[in-house]
Amino acid sequence: MSDDASVSHAALGDRIAGAVLALLALGAWWHSHTFVTGFMQPVGPGVFPRLVSVPLGVLALYLIARPGINQRWPGQAALVRQLGMLLLLGCYGAVLEPLGFVPATLLATVLLMRLFGARWRQALPYGVLLGLALFVLFEFALGIPLPDMPGWSV
Amino acid sequence: MEIFDSLMHGFAVALQPEHLLLALIGCTVGTLVGALPGLGPVNGVALMIPLAFNFGLAPTAALILLVSVYYGCMYGGRISSIVLNIPGDEPAMMTTLDGYPMARAGRGGEALGLSAVASFVGATIATIGLTLFAPLLVTVAIRFGPAEYFALFMLAFATIGGVTSGSFTKSFIAACLGLLLGTVGIDPVSSVARYTFGWYELYDGIDYLVALIGLFAISECLLFLERDQHQRVAPMQLGSAVPGMRQSLSCASTIGRGSVIGFIAGVLPGAGASLGSFLSYVLEKRWWGSKGRFGSGDPRGVAAPESGNNAAAGGALIPMLSLGIPGSGTTAILLALLLSMNITPGPLLFEQQPEMVWGLVAALFIGNVMLLVLNIPLVGLFAKVLQAPSWFLMPMVVLVAFVGVYSLNNSPFDLYMMLAFGVLGYVLRKLEIPTVPVVLGLLLGGQMEFNLRRAMAITGGDWSILWSSGISIGIYLFAITLLVAGLIYAWLVKQRLE
Repeated sequence: MSDDASVSHAALGDRIAGAVLALLALGAWWHSHTFVTGFMQPVGPGVFPRLVSVPLGVLALYLIARPGINQRWPGQAALVRQLGMLLLLGCYGAVLEPLGFVPATLLATVLLMRLFGARWRQALPYGVLLGLALFVLFEFALGIPLPDMPGWSV
Repeated sequence: MEIFDSLMHGFAVALQPEHLLLALIGCTVGTLVGALPGLGPVNGVALMIPLAFNFGLAPTAALILLVSVYYGCMYGGRISSIVLNIPGDEPAMMTTLDGYPMARAGRGGEALGLSAVASFVGATIATIGLTLFAPLLVTVAIRFGPAEYFALFMLAFATIGGVTSGSFTKSFIAACLGLLLGTVGIDPVSSVARYTFGWYELYDGIDYLVALIGLFAISECLLFLERDQHQRVAPMQLGSAVPGMRQSLSCASTIGRGSVIGFIAGVLPGAGASLGSFLSYVLEKRWWGSKGRFGSGDPRGVAAPESGNNAAAGGALIPMLSLGIPGSGTTAILLALLLSMNITPGPLLFEQQPEMVWGLVAALFIGNVMLLVLNIPLVGLFAKVLQAPSWFLMPMVVLVAFVGVYSLNNSPFDLYMMLAFGVLGYVLRKLEIPTVPVVLGLLLGGQMEFNLRRAMAITGGDWSILWSSGISIGIYLFAITLLVAGLIYAWLVKQRLE
């Protein structure tokens, strides 16, 4: 679904990707020799990973030699928003169990909406609404035990 | 007549109230998700999987829910193509070409009505095709041994490059990466831990569902954050859908051709709905030549791709159900669901669980009628949903994905894994490396290796068993033919561009 305007002939991205993948293939090949082949096994646990890492390595080298087309990489503002989302979601995963589902989710919904461009007066009411809707959906409609708030239980 | 009897039993399964309700929910949700720009069938079905698990649905019921979502998405994709000029999903791309000009001319309702009928006919023809051809394929596949299955997996991966747009090298790299990721975890044959580096969370291997939702849904949101966030969508007068239904009579031959072409494109391994709609549109345009007004609001330009992509969606279920080899991203996710429920699709499924297979086929017929009925009167409602602001929709998608994945194992580790796959998916998409082959590799790798090792165990390590039967040689030849055809096609396109 890429529109043509965002495609640029940037060979560098492909070259870096090729190098990383070639290293990955080499590492996978090398590490596969530590897998112990059992008794009476004509094909041990290391064979298939090796069979895969050979074409991966060869194709990765080819990619370095003949890089193709990449899409344009994001600008700084977009990159900050993306890192923000990852950080936010990572923290959400970390506080979900200690804080309990409801407070963690309410925080996450409001902040995510801000990140996706809502104003505070939009993000606050709708974020709370979405957070509570998710809680009702998962806890009651689907019957999943979600982490409780400390000292509370439903 | 055996097929007819089986199908009747299938209807008995599909008409149970619980299954009817699930089909209705699936169709509605699917249409909505398909209609939302950027969220295609892959995301829709992936997001529904944790929900299906948590409902505690039986495999048949879960499958009915998810294929209804799948079919619904194929219907829904056209709505934003026509109303907003943004394809709701990739296969609906061709529909923008004539659908949006029709909507601009105040004939949006007509285009939506016509495309609903075209979708219905396409999907119904494909479902009939599925009913007739899947059992035929099963009678061949039942004779497959491990060596033949291994050949079949090679076929799936050889053809993947032809269609997933862009470079062959990158498609194969993606497939190899997926296959390698698939080996992470305890090896089921020898109980050796592979590439786990002491992390016990990895011993069970990479959870398909976590990887899928990360690769598709999370990376989609990351991509979304790049775009201009302040695009406003002007509401548009749609007009009535009724003239569109009448118009479908005059487009009957277009719809028929589109359906057949789409169906064939769907059945081919590695092809899929995008190819189906593309081929139907291009061939229809050529068929009418200068007599058509393609590109400036020709109704046939809406009917052809819509019948094509819906027919392809049905066709793609054939290799998934009868061979266990998915032909597209969405059918790969359906396969992931089945594997997670300890059900291995393939010829044995038809013998051991006919009520499931035929119940599913019957549910497709019923779901199609539901979709047509839903889509004619409610299309205005669906078009309204498109105008919901993205700052509400995208966080909703992220959090449904997040809570859904968390609820699978109640493990924060899965959440970090999903984020990691989200970043991987994002980087791959930026590099124009397709993500669908990664998923296929991850999903099919285990089975592929298992069959290879079984074949080797039979002969005590003689590799020539892989190409010793007529069937496997035939499959390899077919794979090579498709591969070469794809390479020539790519070369021709490149020549044309230069």
